[in-house]
Amino acid sequence: MKINPLQRQLNLLDYALSSLWRRRMKNGAILAIFAFVIFLLGSFQLLSQTLQSSAEELLAFAPDITIQSLVAGRQTPIAANKIRELADMYGITASSPRIWGYYFDHDNGANYTVLGLTEEEIGAMTGVILESGRLPGAPGEVAVSPAVRQSLDLAGRSAFSLFRPDLSQASFKVSGLFSRETDIVTGDIILMSLADARHLFAMPEDMVTDIGVKVANPVEIDNVARKIAGRFPETRVLTRAQIRKTYQVVFGWRSGFGSVCLLAALASFVILASDKASGLSREEKREIGILKFLGFQTTDILALRFWESVVVAGLAFLIGLSLAYVHVAFFDGGLFKPVLVGWSVLRPDLSLAPSLNGADLLLIFSWSVLPYLAATIIPAWRSAVIRADTVV
Amino acid sequence: MLIQCEHLAKTYKADEQVVRAVDHVDLDIARGDFVVILGHSGSGKTTLLSLIGGLTSPDSGSVRIHGKDNWSMGDQHLSLLRNKTIGFIFQFASLIPTLTVLENLLLPLYFGEATDNRREKGMELLARVGLADKANVYPSQLSGGQQRRIAIARAFINDPEIILADEPTGDLDEETEGDILKMFRQFNEQGMTFLVVTHNANLAASQNGCRTLHMKNGQFV
Ligand SMILES: Nc1ncnc2c1ncn2[C@@H]1O[C@H](COP(=O)(O)OP(=O)(O)OP(=O)(O)O)[C@@H](O)[C@H]1O
Ligand SMILES: [Mg+2]
Repeated sequence: MKINPLQRQLNLLDYALSSLWRRRMKNGAILAIFAFVIFLLGSFQLLSQTLQSSAEELLAFAPDITIQSLVAGRQTPIAANKIRELADMYGITASSPRIWGYYFDHDNGANYTVLGLTEEEIGAMTGVILESGRLPGAPGEVAVSPAVRQSLDLAGRSAFSLFRPDLSQASFKVSGLFSRETDIVTGDIILMSLADARHLFAMPEDMVTDIGVKVANPVEIDNVARKIAGRFPETRVLTRAQIRKTYQVVFGWRSGFGSVCLLAALASFVILASDKASGLSREEKREIGILKFLGFQTTDILALRFWESVVVAGLAFLIGLSLAYVHVAFFDGGLFKPVLVGWSVLRPDLSLAPSLNGADLLLIFSWSVLPYLAATIIPAWRSAVIRADTVV
Repeated sequence: MLIQCEHLAKTYKADEQVVRAVDHVDLDIARGDFVVILGHSGSGKTTLLSLIGGLTSPDSGSVRIHGKDNWSMGDQHLSLLRNKTIGFIFQFASLIPTLTVLENLLLPLYFGEATDNRREKGMELLARVGLADKANVYPSQLSGGQQRRIAIARAFINDPEIILADEPTGDLDEETEGDILKMFRQFNEQGMTFLVVTHNANLAASQNGCRTLHMKNGQFV
């Protein structure tokens, strides 16, 4: 009378579940610790993934090369007509003046990033999606994110005004709304024409904050940057790659994630060390002896242990990851913000939209579940070879 | 021959002392036999039973059941043998304390096809040992004798061909013992083979045509 292998495994799974349930205090504790470890790992991975891609997206508005004027090592306005001097430099496709500034809204304590671009640059803009309306064209028109609109308290209206340095008012009209999908980059931005930005900040005619340079061949960027720096020694010349690097250093995600991985792995092994590796209790040995003389094979006991580990690790994985997702998506990864230095400085109130991809899952899986399963094999084997006459 | 033991031997070493627990025993048991083994404490009765049941491996000699040598067949064969062919009743408590009485009773069915009448079969056996009302309690809530009766019922759950019983009635009162012995006789009359270790002369007397063997220092005398 041979029973089919599938039915046999189902029976064993059934027994494994009941035996986990019978020791629910102990297994519950293991599950909780394990889920917590995976929660830590998952939060970090999700957070760093999100931050990393946001660092990338923050560059959406960054030109290949940015030129700023320095006086006493600090940034000052730069003359827009420098563009003419750049025109004849080899490798440069286009250069355009821009104003990149910050506006603090006293009324509601919000910080906006004001971005003033030339008509051509706004026209050629890619990488930004509008939810409704159009990009600013006429004087006074701006595009903002839903968050900025809410913060401005427009309540259905599209007109609003901001204070100029002399406390006179500059009037604006919302012509377009950025999509929430690009919140990470557009979340706090008010996009307007160069002239409007200059008016708002009361900057002298022909002065801007940066000059953006577009380079024909990406490979040439560093070369061109060096040449510009040589030609204009009083400027700071930044490439996209340098800006990206700054962000990454600020996020410090690599070292953070690395140490958490290590901690997590350590914790997993501590759990193991205190549980399975500590050897079997007399009661467990007796139970296995009884199962053996009632007809369980060595491989059945192994399968039993395997199912138990799979259930515990699988549950912990699901619970831990779900909590991590909630943590990052709804609480902005609040627990780890202080660890991932700089984040809160860069973007004070931005909601993160974490996306889980297969590679993340695999990474977390291989750092938590796999070591656990691997490490339970030896104790499982030890218990499986307990002999049937143990109870005689 | 259902069971054949040839020159079966098992020694234990404890503190430099070698104990010949079973000392070159030959034993043939035919289908439907009822064999009773008597002997002093430490004479090797339990060791013999676990050798025959495939729980303990012999140092030398062989045990054949249906002509197949237990110890040359591998784990899977032995497990199947223990599960289907043989029912064990142990000298000491052998219930899993965290399972209910009924769950304990049904454990050997774990590898059978899932059938709906499992429960009924279990309940029927519980009734036969007089404990139908204890199906859902835990072993710790039972007396020693009651636990023993559950273990007895469990041995019969898979309709085994052979029952190996080690002092099955050791802690039972006379009346309960009588009931159990009656049950043994009924199963024996249906062709089930029994090998029973006991100190109890009643037991031998209660069965028709029973063979009685005496064991001493690991040998039959
Ligand atoms: N696991 C063991 N390790 C060492 N010695 C053992 C072991 N099992 C049994 N023995 C020894 O083997 C001998 C036979 O033991 P066994 O349990 O077979 O006796 P028994 O006839 O069943 O005795 P009782 O009537 O007291 O149950 C004893 O001397 C015992 O001390
Ligand atoms: Mg004994």
